[in-house]
Amino acid sequence: MSPWPALCLLLCAGSAQAALQLEPVDRSLTPDQARASRQLLADAVERLPAAWAGALDQRIAVEWRDDLPAQVHGRAKARQLLLDRALLDDWMARPGDAGLEDPATRAALAAVIHELAHFYDRTPQGRLSRDPRLLDLAGWQVSPMRLGLRISDNAFSDRSPDRYELTSPVEFVAVNLEYFLLEPAYACRRPDLYRHFAAHFGSETLAADCAPGYVVLQASDDAGQSPLLQLDPERVYAVEYLLAEGNERPMSRWGHSMLRLVVCAPGRARGPECRLDLQYHLVLSFRAFVGDVQISSWRGLSGSYPSRLFVLPLEQVIEEYTRVELRGLQSIPLRFDWSDIAALLERTARLHWSYDGRYYFLSNNCAVETYKLLHDGVPRLAGEDLSSITPTGLLRRLERAGVADGTVLDDRVEAMRVGYYFEALSARYEAMFEVARETLQLPQEDAQDWLDLPAAERTPWLARADLRASAALLLLEQAALRRQELLARDELKRHFLGGAADRPADGAKALAAVQDILRLEGFLSRPAALLPDSGYGLPQLEEREALTQETSRKAAQWREQNEWLRSEARGWMPPERQTALAATEANVDALGEQLRRLHREQGGLQLR
Amino acid sequence: MTRLTLTCALLAFSITPALAGSFASSASSAAGGSSASSKTTTPDDKLVLQARDDAASFVASDGRIRGAQLEAALLHLREHNAGAQRASDMELAQAILAL
Repeated sequence: MSPWPALCLLLCAGSAQAALQLEPVDRSLTPDQARASRQLLADAVERLPAAWAGALDQRIAVEWRDDLPAQVHGRAKARQLLLDRALLDDWMARPGDAGLEDPATRAALAAVIHELAHFYDRTPQGRLSRDPRLLDLAGWQVSPMRLGLRISDNAFSDRSPDRYELTSPVEFVAVNLEYFLLEPAYACRRPDLYRHFAAHFGSETLAADCAPGYVVLQASDDAGQSPLLQLDPERVYAVEYLLAEGNERPMSRWGHSMLRLVVCAPGRARGPECRLDLQYHLVLSFRAFVGDVQISSWRGLSGSYPSRLFVLPLEQVIEEYTRVELRGLQSIPLRFDWSDIAALLERTARLHWSYDGRYYFLSNNCAVETYKLLHDGVPRLAGEDLSSITPTGLLRRLERAGVADGTVLDDRVEAMRVGYYFEALSARYEAMFEVARETLQLPQEDAQDWLDLPAAERTPWLARADLRASAALLLLEQAALRRQELLARDELKRHFLGGAADRPADGAKALAAVQDILRLEGFLSRPAALLPDSGYGLPQLEEREALTQETSRKAAQWREQNEWLRSEARGWMPPERQTALAATEANVDALGEQLRRLHREQGGLQLR
Repeated sequence: MTRLTLTCALLAFSITPALAGSFASSASSAAGGSSASSKTTTPDDKLVLQARDDAASFVASDGRIRGAQLEAALLHLREHNAGAQRASDMELAQAILAL
């Protein structure tokens, strides 16, 4: 006769209501221990959803052991459940009325539920750890490089309730089912997984008291804006695929893919008018985070840089691409309904707070990350063949699948007017130059020749311009100023990163400031680092309060360092550059003054 | 192959916002040449100031170039400014340039 029935508790959770039948207990257990053991197992089984308990129709022998490895609370063998006896001792030592907030109660129940989750996962009804949707949510993401396969590492490692979950999908399911059953806050902190489990078990979802909406850290350079931003799905009218067109430079020749959130102004009902509330629109942009002053392409290839999801104000993105980098932006609507949008935002929040991926130039670049966000965030897209490793490739596939509507660009003039296309400012230089040349009889051939002139040689022409020509010249003069600034920046970078001999005396201080800025940006781009040791998943009210203070402090430091650098940088530039910058700025100011004067003289409308 | 890999290696590789702007002076903001540049701005003020390049293009091109940032500013001004409701697009674009 097998010794098991005599040695063990038998856990028979056969009926739909999971009635636990207890067999004679281990002889080595005292009557008190046996009673406590029955009580604990009954308590755990009572918490199981009916579908789970019903699936466990086999007889599972439960055995309390002293010889499990350290840190191991239990083992789910083929038909035996081994549990660490220390858990039983602690369970017995707890106060009689202890609830789940008592660590011993919680640990013992969690251990039993964890192992029962393994048993359940092995049943035909279970198989949660092989469910593709569960794997999406958990973070074993699809790999665009290997058809139909998933990446082997789970990079959703920040704000994990228990990093053991990252070991494998099987452990992920067991750990998360502990939280699903034992923690009401799970519904708020991991709402996507909570709903997935609830739907799987057909259990009722509880109306949990969650903090409203989501919070994200915005990488804004504007002192007026708090870096911590409330993201409310009810205010998002649409999502658009935002493609920064490529240019000739090797770093950007394939373009950059982003997503634009069309956020409505406060108080405006969701509708097409929201498309022009540009000051509230946000951009989700995956970038390699380079926490160093020098980019190394080898390190980029080998995955040494973190891939981070930046949340940026749209206006800042327009500025950066169309005015500084001189690249056009295409904003292509995605055919999403409101439930798609809500799901995408929930996924965005999860990524923002948990994802710490690696940037690989080919296999995990911006297009791949954007694809994965769409794939994981909007479940119905998982069936489409969207995977691409280039930004334009992804857009083409989205169009082919009928998800993206590229026809908005057919009428370019209209597309520019309503914000489906933001053209590079350089596309206007020639037109501006022609207006100025006609009015002023400028001797230069084209805009390029005009911009190549030293600023001081352009100055005498400016004063003779009428309102229209002044407007044209202002745009060109701003372009000249941005060009001077880019040149200055490159010179300074070369200077500081070059040999020590060329470095200015206070170079060390400047380098320290740059490094400090990068350190602060590291926080702002990996928000979980701002909340060490507090909670898991999406931040709730208390954490949000702490975040508000901490982010404002960090953002203030960041701005202070930036301003210091900006003001000091002037002094480190070669004298020619300083002169050129000052002359161009004087031209811009003079044109601004002239435009105001001409406007006043013709009795124009005053806005303030 | 090595060369190709390196070219691909650099694609879509964005630098952090800090490096993109650290050494640039703040004069490159859209408010450049504007008398309003030094004031603290609300999102709405900023919307209008961000439209300056579009307004300049619109005025210079006699209304031919019409960007979304100008369009947004025109809508916003007409929603919030009584004087703006009767003004034409051109008058408003000129007024934005004169800020």
